[in-house]
Amino acid sequence: MAKAPILGLFETADNAADAGDALKAAGVPQTDYDFLTDTPYPEGAFGERHEGHRLYIFPFVGALIGLTVGVMLTSMTSMAYPLVQGGKPIMSLPPMAVVTYESTMLTAIIFTIIGIIFESRLPAFKQGLYDTRITEGYIGVLANVEEDQLTSTQTLLTQAGAIDVVRNSGGPGA
Amino acid sequence: MQEGTPLQSRQINRELLVSILNSPKWFWMAVGILGLIVLFAMGTAGLMINKGMGVTGLNRPVMWGFFITNFVFWIGISHAGVMLSAILRLSKAEWRRPATRAAEILTVFSLMTAMMMPLIHTGRPWRLVYWIYTVPFVPYDYARGIWPNVRSPLVWDPSAVYTYLTSSILFVIIALIPDFAVLRDRTTGISNKIYGMLAMGWQGNPRQWKLQIIAGVLLSALILPVFVSVHSIVSWDFGMAVSVKSWHSTIFAPYFVVGAVHSGVSAVAFVLIILRYIYGWQNYIRHEHIDALARLLIVVATGWFYFLVMEIVFGFYGREADEIAVRNLQFMITPWNIWMMIFVGVTYFLPVAIWLSRSARRNLWIMSLACISVNVGMWLERFLIIVPGLARKQLLTFDWYTYTPSAVEWIIVGATFAMVSMLMLVIARVVPLIPLYDIKEGEILRTEIKIGRVSVPATFRED
Amino acid sequence: MAATEPKGHGHHAGMWVFPDASAMSQDVSAKTLSMPKPFTLALMVTGALFILGIVGFIGRAATDGFDEMAPWGYYMAIFSWIFMISSAAPLAAVAFRFTKSHWRRPLSRVAELFAVVGILNLLMFIPMMFLLPGLGNPGGVVEGQLELRRTIWFEGPIGAPHAWDVLAVASLAVTSMVILLLSAMPDMAESRGTATGFRGWVYNRIAGGWYGTKRQWNAQKAGLALLGAFYFMMIIFVHFVISSEYAQSLIPGWKDSIFPVIYSVTSIQMGLGTCLIVLFIMRRWGGYEGYVGKSTFWSASKVMLGVTLLWAYHLFAFFITFWYGRLEVEQNIIKYLIVESYGIIFLLNLVFSFIAPFVLLIWNPVRRSAWGPALAGLFAIFGGLMFSIRIFVGSANAAKGDEIYAFFLEHVPAPAYPDVWDVFMVIGGIGAAAFVYLASTKLFPLLSLWEVKEGTLYQKWRKFIRGEYLVLGKPE
Repeated sequence: MAKAPILGLFETADNAADAGDALKAAGVPQTDYDFLTDTPYPEGAFGERHEGHRLYIFPFVGALIGLTVGVMLTSMTSMAYPLVQGGKPIMSLPPMAVVTYESTMLTAIIFTIIGIIFESRLPAFKQGLYDTRITEGYIGVLANVEEDQLTSTQTLLTQAGAIDVVRNSGGPGA
Repeated sequence: MQEGTPLQSRQINRELLVSILNSPKWFWMAVGILGLIVLFAMGTAGLMINKGMGVTGLNRPVMWGFFITNFVFWIGISHAGVMLSAILRLSKAEWRRPATRAAEILTVFSLMTAMMMPLIHTGRPWRLVYWIYTVPFVPYDYARGIWPNVRSPLVWDPSAVYTYLTSSILFVIIALIPDFAVLRDRTTGISNKIYGMLAMGWQGNPRQWKLQIIAGVLLSALILPVFVSVHSIVSWDFGMAVSVKSWHSTIFAPYFVVGAVHSGVSAVAFVLIILRYIYGWQNYIRHEHIDALARLLIVVATGWFYFLVMEIVFGFYGREADEIAVRNLQFMITPWNIWMMIFVGVTYFLPVAIWLSRSARRNLWIMSLACISVNVGMWLERFLIIVPGLARKQLLTFDWYTYTPSAVEWIIVGATFAMVSMLMLVIARVVPLIPLYDIKEGEILRTEIKIGRVSVPATFRED
Repeated sequence: MAATEPKGHGHHAGMWVFPDASAMSQDVSAKTLSMPKPFTLALMVTGALFILGIVGFIGRAATDGFDEMAPWGYYMAIFSWIFMISSAAPLAAVAFRFTKSHWRRPLSRVAELFAVVGILNLLMFIPMMFLLPGLGNPGGVVEGQLELRRTIWFEGPIGAPHAWDVLAVASLAVTSMVILLLSAMPDMAESRGTATGFRGWVYNRIAGGWYGTKRQWNAQKAGLALLGAFYFMMIIFVHFVISSEYAQSLIPGWKDSIFPVIYSVTSIQMGLGTCLIVLFIMRRWGGYEGYVGKSTFWSASKVMLGVTLLWAYHLFAFFITFWYGRLEVEQNIIKYLIVESYGIIFLLNLVFSFIAPFVLLIWNPVRRSAWGPALAGLFAIFGGLMFSIRIFVGSANAAKGDEIYAFFLEHVPAPAYPDVWDVFMVIGGIGAAAFVYLASTKLFPLLSLWEVKEGTLYQKWRKFIRGEYLVLGKPE
């Protein structure tokens, strides 16, 4: 059976955490519900699942690529136009190090940016259920439950103190 | 240290988005006036391109003057942004929260402005076009197989500045995503579409927040070494030259970096004071923040002063006649010696004397004065490094000369200040200059510790 | 064992400790008095090395006397090594007290205690004074030579350079000693009634009038802040003096404005590194685990990483300027100190001052451990030893005789290898510093009791919604 999203809005973080506990008790797997907030709460504040990520790989890969590009650019352009200036060798390592350093850092940073976006699972233009009140300070508890459990989940969220519960109006798949 | 009253999300949205959603009436007028100044300067630059560099005061041997001074100055200002936001993020200073975004955006605009200066200074900026049609969209000049000389600092310089510019822009954009989502939820029509695109479907789930926080720290740690390299390399534009005495000093790199931080942080403090005034952000940019910036500035300024003394001491240390000639010009010959005194006074002694007093640190008028004073001084610093060195570059005294800037240079240099102000105003119209989520995070993490009868402000920390 | 509840789970385990303030004083003063076997052994070994160092010194003096500087290069190097550590270590206490960082609290006393090693330094400096040549060329105005040596004193105020150098080194040592005594005063007052013998005498002399009134606390804190600011400026100045007098000014034509900065940065890296080594030993074998959380290592290691990067940065700023300038003297100095004569020493210097600690400290799990930062500290002090040898032995041996008054270094001198007396002096110097430090830990408690106690007021462990987190109060 298909799963459908349901979003409860809470005024206080404690109520939202209660809702999370209730969902967990009701047997909803931790990967199927999320807490939507307008500000970063400390990790584990809602008793939410632990999120792993591999962001730290990105800058290293980027740095490696940048290093290669930097070494190639500096050495090959030096050789392609071998004009001695100021008595310095054609292949002068200290200046090459400067440019290579910049290219390394640049690519590392660009890869980190890509990594952040990718690991945040963005862009996500086909956004799921959402409510603009979340950016007003309400805390959303977004659950993906079996369609026949929607009503019971709605009750559960309301009991935890939700001031409003939002469901997709368009039926399954909407 | 936290002062002020707790704030609600809704109130934070309303107050911090005021520059975007309820832009003040004078906005277009101010942008218009600043824009006219910039246009006028562009016209002047056009005249200079048309008539040639003869309309400036540049000459032999003083071939670098106001434009290059201004270039170094704006590169310096750009150092505030990342230094502030990176160092304070890494050290988890609570008072960073309202200052980071404005600082980062000031970085971007001052870098852009800075990069215009050498282009104007070349006198033939259309050579830039070659970059585009040698290889489409690859900004690397290799027309006719003549590759740029990697051994020249003038190639290191753009590589560093563009790295810094790209990184800073990306850094700002990443940190803006959650705030774009707030704007997406508060706007309609075309702006809603645009902010929606920029927010990339941000929901604010724990995973996204976790990565946002890590991004702030990780990118800070990555950009910090770039930031240090940028002004170092700018200093090597000068420091590598043996022929110009007083430039070839090993301390130039850190000296320039610390000087840049000094002027940049002062500039950020000034920008924050202005923002507080024009948008009524008294609840966000509080006296404690300006106070903390001022205390940081005492340390930075004193560090800078140490480097200045080292630079001067080791200038005389060699006791070489040609270097002494430059120092003689700087310290003995009017008007240079007067400028020198003004420079040291307004860059170090006056502002530090002000910052040592707590009540002065908390008086915004006096703080503005101190910050402007530092920046006047830092502009003079670059001028007094560049011009006297060149004026005494030649071995024989009949080749010595001096430099008087022309009206063209004054107009173009003056207009860069209008341009940065205009760009800051325009950007304040489209993105929040104080990060909303950072302020909100600060609000939820604040707490108190009771010790006997007093309660001490405290914060929750993840680690 | 201390009554301590460790908090935090997973990778937070052992990060923070919340010691029981009431049990701490007794426990720590018992530790201060006790003489466990390994400690006694360490004291004996380092004491023996100290004597070896004195033998080396006497041997060197008997062989070469004090007229020439060149044979004393290794003595200068080991002086500088101890000086770099003992002068910069107290900065760890001063600087982080200034920034009001709570994690510094268990580190403070470890750092301040290096003031005692500063006294050893002061004694070691006496012979160096006799070695330093005067400013003026004894030959007067000589063709092809300078009339005055290039020094930071220029024409020289009266007494330059000797009197001023002594004044600089002495006032630094005195300031750090005063900081130590002022900071340890409340702790000494705690056990002045029970302490006996020399300890009792010192405690009563220094802390006899301390009752911990509000006024006294305010005065103590203000005093520490002022002395700290003063110490900061002093140390930068004294580093400038030492690095110029005993290194830069001895190589003709070496005009390098960044060198004092490099010297200070190396020193700060070594000072902080040594503190972390001591802290690690305390925690691992000294029974201080309940008082020293890993967060101290974690926070200090970030500073350490920053300083390590700064070291490489300043070195490169020096190198590229000289390399690019390509003046004859610049090339000779690079060849002498970096590439040829002291090439291997430089390589070791680079590896241990920069590459090894950098590669180690970029990993967060390593920074969060206790051993990682301490190992980085060990690398740093070895790298610093190589730095000292390269620079000070190099400087002492660059210019022989009146060559020191030459316009610039016209050749690349050969490196100076150590003889048996030099080896004795270097090993003995390291032993002497360790001996003095170890002995002083029996006089002063190794933990700044009042600071750690103060810290327990401002650091709490609290529940927030579903999680538990550290709460840090900021006193103002």
